[in-house]
Amino acid sequence: MEWLFYVVAVVVGLGISGSAVYALYWSSQHGQLRDFERGATSIFDDQEPQGEMTDHFPAPRRKPGAPPPES
Amino acid sequence: MASAPSLAASLHPATPTDTVPRAELSAIDASTKWPALVFIVSALVWLLIGTVFALIASFKMHSPEFLGNYEWLTFGRVRSAHLNAVIYGWSTNAAFAVAFWLMARLSRAALRHPGVLIVAACFWNLGVTIGVIGILAGDSTSIEWLEMPPYATPLLFVAYALVGAWAVITFRFRKSEHIYVSQWYILAALFWFPWLYSIAQIMLIFEPARGTVQALVNWWFAHNVLGLWFTPIGLAAAYYFIPKVLGKPIHSYYLSVLGFWSLAIFYNWAGVHHLIGGPVPAWVISAGIAASLMMVIPVVVTAVNHHLTMVGSFGALRTSPTLRFVVFGAVNYTLVSLTGSAMAIRSVNEITHFTHFTVGHAHEGMYAFFTMVMFGAIYYILPRLLLKEWPSAALIRAHFWCAAVGVTIYWVDLEIGGWIQGMQMNNPNIPFLEVVHNTLPYLVTRSVAGILMTIGHLAFAVNVAWMLAAKRPAGATAPTLFRSPPAMQAAPVR
Repeated sequence: MEWLFYVVAVVVGLGISGSAVYALYWSSQHGQLRDFERGATSIFDDQEPQGEMTDHFPAPRRKPGAPPPES
Repeated sequence: MASAPSLAASLHPATPTDTVPRAELSAIDASTKWPALVFIVSALVWLLIGTVFALIASFKMHSPEFLGNYEWLTFGRVRSAHLNAVIYGWSTNAAFAVAFWLMARLSRAALRHPGVLIVAACFWNLGVTIGVIGILAGDSTSIEWLEMPPYATPLLFVAYALVGAWAVITFRFRKSEHIYVSQWYILAALFWFPWLYSIAQIMLIFEPARGTVQALVNWWFAHNVLGLWFTPIGLAAAYYFIPKVLGKPIHSYYLSVLGFWSLAIFYNWAGVHHLIGGPVPAWVISAGIAASLMMVIPVVVTAVNHHLTMVGSFGALRTSPTLRFVVFGAVNYTLVSLTGSAMAIRSVNEITHFTHFTVGHAHEGMYAFFTMVMFGAIYYILPRLLLKEWPSAALIRAHFWCAAVGVTIYWVDLEIGGWIQGMQMNNPNIPFLEVVHNTLPYLVTRSVAGILMTIGHLAFAVNVAWMLAAKRPAGATAPTLFRSPPAMQAAPVR
């Protein structure tokens, strides 16, 4: 039986490697490897635009000038 | 929840993918709420359990009589229970939550079939629970990183199959034109982990390979769990959160793609450097050393990207909890990976092998890098799921400083102590017992660092529990939520 598992391991390994090669080919054919500037900004949109931070420590330091909220 | 077609329809290759609308980020976050909460809360519970095991194991290293009367708490069992609780309990649960939250967000489509993920979470946690109890009961397989007894692992397979099927569905029905680099990392990791785990299970436990092949498979698996499962998820999170929090794109997107593909090519070979000096063919070891050194390429590329994105924005570290944790993790990724490549060089390995150096290195990778990135991700994700603010900024700061200072003391201490230990073990004039005795100060320091990290975990747990219990004030907007842009504009970016 041992040989069977070596065969399975080799076949699965080739399959995984093959899928990686196919993924690289696919991404080159579908424009994923072009226009890298646009790719980098794809995580921003109108709701969370580029140039605005999206994470802060919670209150009480939220509003300058306002009376500090009770803590 | 936009689970429009049934699960069977989603899996069917003929189902058209254009039936799914592109969703708003807030709607996507809302759709991930329940499965993400289940994974995050179970991760947190496992973190606390794993921490208790860690402290017991650490104390036993310098005070062997500590809890010495309980056979299920002997060092060999409790140390393995710690490893499995934090690797499969905390880290993998957190990785699942972060991976599919990111995947849904980056695919720009609401999460489909959340029930599948909740069922997967139940199977996974049941499997890990049975596995850890099995280890404590003395049923460990004694194979490193695969200690869970064979009666626990099928449950993990079921869970993984469900998560994998879900990921493929999400990717297929994506509405984003561009596949962001984080998606590449997550998708690849979700393929790689079941491959590693199933091959290792078959060749080590169900039908064990003969002789040194076992050792090769074992280290191929154990090292790749770090490199092809946790590293990609951690990097995917860093590649998303650093630019996202700062509101500025990554320094060089081209380099990020190069980093991904070079990791995919080289990492798989590197694990056998654990067997330097072992009775395995020399060419296998040499190939492993070469691959370990080639890993400098993806590491430097990633480091350039993460750290140059931060240049000019270091002030944001004071105002963003997520950024603090993630950047701390990214810096440690650079350090730990370069150390790892150096440790694969034969002359260095002769000193560090079989010493506490390796333990310090492993904790720098899994804690200072991966766990800190996961903490940062959870600080970003939870407010968006619950639509609530984190209740206490002080607890976040306590968590960060205890964890960051604790883990830094931990790995620096053990790497110095381990190096001295290795030098002394290589010196035939020093008796072995004296070498063992000389490690004691470092082991005690390690326990102190562990206590510090435990305080951090408790602060985190209290903050999460408080947040889950707190009522949301009606119409509340908060800085971490970013639900209401006008309210955000009123908030100062400091």
